[in-house]
Amino acid sequence: MINLLSRLFTPKQAATVPSMDGVLRPNEALDALSVIIEITAPDNFVNMGSDLIFSSGKELFSISNATADSAPKPYKKFESEVTALAASANGILAIGLQDGGIQFMGGGVDGVSLQDLDGRTANCITALAFNGEGELFICQGSRKNNATEWQRDLLEKQASGSVWRVDIESMKLNLIADNLAFPNGVFIQDNSIVISESWKHRLVRFDLNGNKAAQNVIMADMPGYPGRLVPAANGGAWLCVFAPRRQLTEFVLREDAYRTRMLNELSSEHWIAPTLRAGKSFAEPMQGGAVKVHGIHKAWAPTRSYGMLILLDENLTPAISYHSRADGKRHGIVSVCEINGQLLIASRGNDVICTLPISQPELEADT
Amino acid sequence: MNQSAKQSTAYAQDANTQVDTSSGDAFVKFRYKWIPTHIFGELLSKPWIDNVVPVTILLLVVAFFSATVNNFLLPANVMDGTRQIGELGFVVIGLMFVVVGGGIDLSVGSNFALGNLLALALTNIFGLPVWVVFIAVIFTCSFVGLINGILVGYFKLRAFLTTLVMLIGLRALVDTLLLEYALDISAGYFDDDFWYFIGDGDVLGIPTSVFLLIIVAIAMHIVLSRTKLGWHIMAVGGSRRSAHNAGISLNRTVCLSYVMCGAFAGISAFFYAARLGNGGSYPGVGLEVLALTAVIVGGISLGGGRGSVFKAVIGTMIVQIISLGVVQAGLLSGAGQLVLGLILLAAIGFNVRWVKNRDKVLSRIYMSPTYFALPKAPETSESSGSPYAANDRLGAVEVIGLDQVDGAEDVVFDSHDNLYCGDRRGNIMRFDAPDYKQARVFAHIGGHPLGMAIDSQDRVVVCVGGMGLYRVDQSANVEKLTDETNRSPFAIIDDSRLRLTDDCDIAPDGRIFFSEATIRFDMSTWPSDALESRGSGRIVCYDPKRNTTKTVARNLTFPNGIVTSFNGQSILFAESWACRISRYWFDGPKAGQIERVIENLPGYPDNINRASDGTYWMALMGMRSPALDLALRMPSFRKRMSQEISNDEWLYPNINTGCIVRFSEDGEIIESLWDKAGDNHPMITSMREHKGRLYIGGIFNNRIGSLKIDSEDQNWTGSESYWSKS
Repeated sequence: MINLLSRLFTPKQAATVPSMDGVLRPNEALDALSVIIEITAPDNFVNMGSDLIFSSGKELFSISNATADSAPKPYKKFESEVTALAASANGILAIGLQDGGIQFMGGGVDGVSLQDLDGRTANCITALAFNGEGELFICQGSRKNNATEWQRDLLEKQASGSVWRVDIESMKLNLIADNLAFPNGVFIQDNSIVISESWKHRLVRFDLNGNKAAQNVIMADMPGYPGRLVPAANGGAWLCVFAPRRQLTEFVLREDAYRTRMLNELSSEHWIAPTLRAGKSFAEPMQGGAVKVHGIHKAWAPTRSYGMLILLDENLTPAISYHSRADGKRHGIVSVCEINGQLLIASRGNDVICTLPISQPELEADT
Repeated sequence: MNQSAKQSTAYAQDANTQVDTSSGDAFVKFRYKWIPTHIFGELLSKPWIDNVVPVTILLLVVAFFSATVNNFLLPANVMDGTRQIGELGFVVIGLMFVVVGGGIDLSVGSNFALGNLLALALTNIFGLPVWVVFIAVIFTCSFVGLINGILVGYFKLRAFLTTLVMLIGLRALVDTLLLEYALDISAGYFDDDFWYFIGDGDVLGIPTSVFLLIIVAIAMHIVLSRTKLGWHIMAVGGSRRSAHNAGISLNRTVCLSYVMCGAFAGISAFFYAARLGNGGSYPGVGLEVLALTAVIVGGISLGGGRGSVFKAVIGTMIVQIISLGVVQAGLLSGAGQLVLGLILLAAIGFNVRWVKNRDKVLSRIYMSPTYFALPKAPETSESSGSPYAANDRLGAVEVIGLDQVDGAEDVVFDSHDNLYCGDRRGNIMRFDAPDYKQARVFAHIGGHPLGMAIDSQDRVVVCVGGMGLYRVDQSANVEKLTDETNRSPFAIIDDSRLRLTDDCDIAPDGRIFFSEATIRFDMSTWPSDALESRGSGRIVCYDPKRNTTKTVARNLTFPNGIVTSFNGQSILFAESWACRISRYWFDGPKAGQIERVIENLPGYPDNINRASDGTYWMALMGMRSPALDLALRMPSFRKRMSQEISNDEWLYPNINTGCIVRFSEDGEIIESLWDKAGDNHPMITSMREHKGRLYIGGIFNNRIGSLKIDSEDQNWTGSESYWSKS
């Protein structure tokens, strides 16, 4: 309420972003990790019994659960990009595709596909999660833009995403929440689901019994854009923050004339927008602090890409964070998976999968 | 690296749609071409802008009274009024010194009364000569000032209380003396033509007191703004601690300001006595309030450190005209005081706000981006076949002097193959031939040495950012060639002093042409100039034969590298933000003309130097990005960006990736050398060919690069090319 009032009476808010402080204080933990696989655009880890499956563009790969450092084996190939994956305990695999809705493999629904969500084309499936064997939660990031056009969705200030529950037996859909600003991760906890709403930099909880009063914002005003949520052994979740917020981006979001022309006249690599990996080309926008001095790219330099992974405890408050800063090489963390005392981390920005040992006491379940 | 090729292609696609001639763009272009908003910032940065408000008030006051009060501008009226302005003016100028020095003097009224009494007593009773009276009065009043000065300056008593006590004490003394001498004064008579001349005469139609005030005002303006004493008073008033640290004696300076104040009260009293011969108890009552009002209404800050004689005079005129006007308007006697009080209140309020906010406003409005449209950028992708196509030919660069130099913007060789480069710490560094292993400080200049050239006697001519054009001979003697040029007519900011000399080269006859990148910003604020993209740089010529400096070309957009053409009649120069190379003819049939040689480079050109085969090397210090190219066509976007987000977050020209380009005399691009990884030599601002190798400098680098090139003449050197010796 106070926030609303202050917005009403302040004509223009400063284009500021919250600082990374407290638990979110920057470190170089992600850069210290060892790489086990180098592959283009790794994403969407799921644990399928003895195998671990992940996507790379249009393909799915599998690696053996026990020996995570083995070479990935091709698992399946699709016509269009895989945007989300989920697996049930009994082996049903749900695959979100850029141009193919949601496809199911295994179990009683092998070969079934879901092309639209109650009349809306399912072209922006950002996250999937099974609740037991009977239910699947679906995040549709946007009605207008598909999943790979997430930058455009942000710059157009869209809030057209939705969250659905589908009954696996009957394929009956149930709309849980609508008009969200890019729901991009789902985590089931007790009788509620937690959604990361990327463009509003927050986590929101929705009650599954339809109790509106129980909806609440869990984390707000984060310094980056929250993405996937993955269950963690401590009863909480891993939160992948796939890109950082920047003053310049916030400023451009307010500048309608410039933003419109930028969207219309420039190709997306050259936009002033967050990205999974910046600095691939000299034609990208560069900010003042990023000027190299003595050949050194400063760690604190303003950057459009960043690596950030947060471990939330069972109350979903941040417990530990892992970073890769402006000069780091593990940007665009999009997916993680706990397996055999290790955490596999997909850095989509740098096209690598690396491992984090989770034998440290603070990462294990509270007793 | 496939990625970068793909992206460069995408960039070219952007560029196709970039050239936009929509009516919206046309309007923006028109508005920024014809409404020069940047002058507001320049005006506000001038010290004299403070005077605008008091002068406006003065004009309004005069206009108001001449419109409402009959006969306000009658000659006799004006004469009497100006005479009084003359008298008050002295007091105000004196008080101004104290206030600028950070103090206050309330005793001027009583001091004035004492001076008046003394003058009348010495003339009417004792009949002393006028000049003796004059000296006695000034001496006495200065003595009172000295007491104030000693108490406040040396004994550190509070100025307000001390001078308040002096006000009361002196008034009591005057009243006591009046009891004794009032009758004698009224009874006495002093018949002296000179005395009458001082009181009622005029010089060239100007009342004597005003005539003298004008002379004194000019003299005091010089004292305050041009002499050591004036600077000391300003410094002490501005910041006592800094003044102390700078070695200024606070005690003495403060004391002197009170003495001056007393002396001026004495002069004023002398004229007053000559005019009215009033031996009553009235003279000088309330004068301190009147003078203080004048000081503040004139815009002199009570906090000290800000003020001028001009402001004091303007303040005096405002106050005196109001006092007279109110009387002539027939208002009640208290009304004048009331009006003055209200004006004083308003002036104090305004002054506080002004002093507090001026710099804030200035920093907000000084930067004023303009419309600048660049056409479609040329291809740079590897597969494009364009002469700019990215490659890895610089990947093999060898590193010289890693961590021995910091910010070698340019490198140059003498005729004995020794290498010289600049260094951010203000040094010219030298690497001895032939191995170039160890750097040593050749000469310390200060500033940041940028572009360099070698003259016919192996002296290093160097542009030093923030300082000017310097020359260092082989014995390492540093000589300043020039640090100022002729001031441009109608320029608001004083552009006579060189602020950012960037690169230089020498013509066959010895004249040195050098560029000054911008006159609106300093070395450290170059990004602001980049965001403005306004033509605020120039090319200047120094003639060593006549020891003259003259600006030869103006309104250039960040002129940077300069090279004397092989034809010996022209220079080629780079304009960084405009992404173009032009030619300036200094000799021959086209002398004085500027021609475009290359336009629409894919990056921002920096230094240009001769190549062995009659072509030229050019460094592109950074590459264009579509997001910035678009922003250049939207000036208001850049302005808001500069105001609303921090400097480190600004959209910059990308100067992390650059390349070296070779082009011919008529501007044809022959080849380009890139280092895509950027590990060995991260940034490039300059390159110099020497004996089959290319030596590379970078302003943010801690090294010099060296690269073997396939030139035909492996013994070619720059100094031979320029001066035909080896």
